[in-house]
Amino acid sequence: MPIVTDSQRSATRTQVRQAITQQKRHLPSIALSVTLLIAVTFTLLTLFSLLARIVTQAIPAFSERGASFLSGTIGSEPDKVGIWPGLFGSFAIGIGVLLIAVPLGIGAAIYLEEYAEQNRLNRFVVVNIRNLAGVPAVIYGVLGLIIFVGWLKPVTNGGTVVAAALTLAILVLPVVIITSMEAIRAVPMGLRDAGYGVGASRWEVTRDHVVPYAMPGILTGTVLALARALGEAAPLIMIGAITGLLPETSLSGKFTAIPMLIYSWSGRPDSSGGNIGWSNAAAGAGLVLLALVLVFNIIGIFLRNHFEAKRVGT
Amino acid sequence: MKFKNWALVATCAIALPLAACGGSDSASTPDSTESSSNGDGGSVFVTGSSTVEPISIKVGELAGTDDGGNIKVTVEGPGTGDGFKKFCAGDGDITGASRPIKEEEAIQCADAGIEYVELAVAIDGLTVATSVNNTAIECLDKAALYALIGPESEGFSSWADANTLAGELGSAYALPDAPLSIFGPGEESGTYDSFVEFAFKSIAGDRGTEVIARADYTASPNDNVIVDGIESADTSLGWVGYAYYRAETDRMKAIAIANDEGVCVLPTDETIADGSYSFSRTLYIYVNKAKAVENPAIGTFVDLYLSAAGVEQVVAAGYVQLEAAKQQSSVDAWTARG
Amino acid sequence: MNGLLAVADLSGDPRRRAHDRRMQRLLGSSAFITIIISALILFVLARGSIDFLKSIGWDLGVLRDSSKAPGWFPRRERFDLITIVMGSVLMGSIAMLVAVPLGLGTAVYLSEFAPTRVRKILKPIVEVLAGIPSVIVGYFALKFIAPNIVDPIFSPDQSRNMVVAGLAIGVLVIPIMASISEDALRAVPSSLREASYGIGARKSTTTIRIVLPAAVSGIVAAFIIATSRAIGETMVAAMAGGRDGSGPRVLDPLEPGLTMTAAMTNAAGGTDQVNSGAPFQVLFFVGLLLFMMTMGLNVIGDRFVQRVRQQY
Repeated sequence: MPIVTDSQRSATRTQVRQAITQQKRHLPSIALSVTLLIAVTFTLLTLFSLLARIVTQAIPAFSERGASFLSGTIGSEPDKVGIWPGLFGSFAIGIGVLLIAVPLGIGAAIYLEEYAEQNRLNRFVVVNIRNLAGVPAVIYGVLGLIIFVGWLKPVTNGGTVVAAALTLAILVLPVVIITSMEAIRAVPMGLRDAGYGVGASRWEVTRDHVVPYAMPGILTGTVLALARALGEAAPLIMIGAITGLLPETSLSGKFTAIPMLIYSWSGRPDSSGGNIGWSNAAAGAGLVLLALVLVFNIIGIFLRNHFEAKRVGT
Repeated sequence: MKFKNWALVATCAIALPLAACGGSDSASTPDSTESSSNGDGGSVFVTGSSTVEPISIKVGELAGTDDGGNIKVTVEGPGTGDGFKKFCAGDGDITGASRPIKEEEAIQCADAGIEYVELAVAIDGLTVATSVNNTAIECLDKAALYALIGPESEGFSSWADANTLAGELGSAYALPDAPLSIFGPGEESGTYDSFVEFAFKSIAGDRGTEVIARADYTASPNDNVIVDGIESADTSLGWVGYAYYRAETDRMKAIAIANDEGVCVLPTDETIADGSYSFSRTLYIYVNKAKAVENPAIGTFVDLYLSAAGVEQVVAAGYVQLEAAKQQSSVDAWTARG
Repeated sequence: MNGLLAVADLSGDPRRRAHDRRMQRLLGSSAFITIIISALILFVLARGSIDFLKSIGWDLGVLRDSSKAPGWFPRRERFDLITIVMGSVLMGSIAMLVAVPLGLGTAVYLSEFAPTRVRKILKPIVEVLAGIPSVIVGYFALKFIAPNIVDPIFSPDQSRNMVVAGLAIGVLVIPIMASISEDALRAVPSSLREASYGIGARKSTTTIRIVLPAAVSGIVAAFIIATSRAIGETMVAAMAGGRDGSGPRVLDPLEPGLTMTAAMTNAAGGTDQVNSGAPFQVLFFVGLLLFMMTMGLNVIGDRFVQRVRQQY
């Protein structure tokens, strides 16, 4: 038997608290707590109603169409359209981002954290990357329109998914660099010193110790960048994605992507008495996009939390 | 071991963009001969007017079926003017237009050595509309419309503000003292071009003003927004394509247009087809001749467009089919393309 | 071979050193690509802007033309910049009115009040909100905020207006506001809080009088960076803002309006071949202006973030 029981302990606690707070409820404290709780509730409510609206509107598209909503093509009737061309475009963009932005971004981050001296030029590079991360997406669209659709037409064949992938890869490059830099910076110095101590070159230390240690953090950045690229529509408007009819999908032809379909479909009139209207089709495409993006985000957040927890242990 | 693999992946990945660019390069090369070799029935690319786009989409959907020849038709609708710019730069097999080609556009095409066939495919009536609650207005003439929406009407916020100008122009209609809120498509739209031409051209010509609408109206590229606007205000005024009006008859009321004899004509399928309703226009497609020779799919698609099945799509898209004689002259022009 | 080490031996295998230098060059070039990207952005925007200014004959009066009724009608050669700048500022302000209380409130709760268990759940939820694509928020604005919130409360003339777009942009920037402010709040050393509790201050007093003032530069940074994001947001403004370029009415937020970003998408119009004439070239001019505005805000915001880092 413990000398002091739990009930005694909590009674004492209450007594002490009452003594300290003079048994009065402090109004400003309550007001602050209530205000904060309202803010948090509103934030959660917004997220909840957004998800609920998308899901409830999307249900008809999936329950009545099933898999054909995923495999069909875009067209003129909301109860017959499918999002296949959008899926193709978005996947191609995702792969393009993985192939271009991820290696470039990790390479740049390694250079800036491991090799670059603290001089004016390198500081400028870092400041510039931070600025690039804040440039609005629509401006990257202008860049893509002129460079990848115009100047590099022999490579991209004009307004194709290749041009879109290159544009979005450039858009997310700063995100990849910044998150990778943070991951690499978090690697303990001792790890590097140990490597140098046994005579390894800088590249060998980076390759064998720093990058592997930082990998979870780098992966988080990669996954978040991918999610961002899949959700962007503004640059695609500038490049010229198709929303009319697109029966064939190829790397060198016209293209569309899921966010463009949501953009186009949600603006179409919705009064044709059928079971599935344009807002249902748009919500269906939205649900697919949300699922993709949220899965990527959750993987990213999970990886980061896992990584943080592990580091606390070391 | 695991660490080594990561590093390997990272280093390989750095070299990959080059390979990726090279890959896409080679992928684009065979594309220049794309059309006829690709798929079953070949592919066609249609650009141009967003008004013609719904018809092209419907005919394109039909062309994609076994009956239609399994042709892969890609359709976009950036607008008539933008469509001609692309078409005359050699991009696009077919462009849709809600008005005939302009002289300067024809010159651009000629300079680029692009020959084309012009084919009328449908008629679109413009509907001038107001709220269903507006009982004061049943019919308007061009003079009243010029006074309400024309270039000299900027700042008028009540229908009655336009009375002086309308009277000056010989309008037979007295306008009520009620708030005036105007909704219509923006200048990028063919529906805007047609409206100012139908409603203002003759009067603007006499008065030496520009053939444009006032700037202070609510312009939207989205017809649904225009319909929303017309519905929302009791004494609204706006104009949309007849197709949109017919789909939304319960949300707005068409205003009859007085013809030159002063007879009010409401837009209906009949009055538009026989031309007695004056605010109607012909929709066209322009076909690139050289590309049609190179790529038989274009021919098959245009054949379908002009066939009875194609005309059904015109109606399904909400437009009015051409009179038999006009339809036949399109077919003749297409057959005689040489 | 007398067993002594020469200096040359200590410098390592020349092949390995050469490989190290090659890797340094390769990695360095990927870092410098970002400079090229910035240069290209500036070049493309500046070149287009010069073309635009040439085609209006360097007459800057065109950009603030008071002789005609103001408004943004590029195809009618009316380029009243104030119309679209006001559109951006109005929608951005409405967005910040939403994002500051909700974002900051969430941040304070997460950092100061939430029990660890709640925080562990809440924080990822806020991050999920941050990951939601802007087209989806645009859809939410059209199909929920407009019909279920703005229409019943304000009954505007048109369901697409600046309040709807502003509220939705606010939803989009709540997570930015929340996460940067939370970082700033958590950067405040716990010794400050403990000192405050030690002299008998309540939690509310400590939060308001000690923690918030100590984190103020980070909160300012959050505000500035969120504002920059709100002004740069394109899809929500284009989908829900009404895209109306007529000028005099933009001061009423319940009217439809046009932001700089939406004006840019209008000019491009989804076509890739039409690149001629002032109505198209103005796209670059607006882009340059937007670039300058957001970059200015980001640079200032970043300064404040650095200040937090240096303080603690």
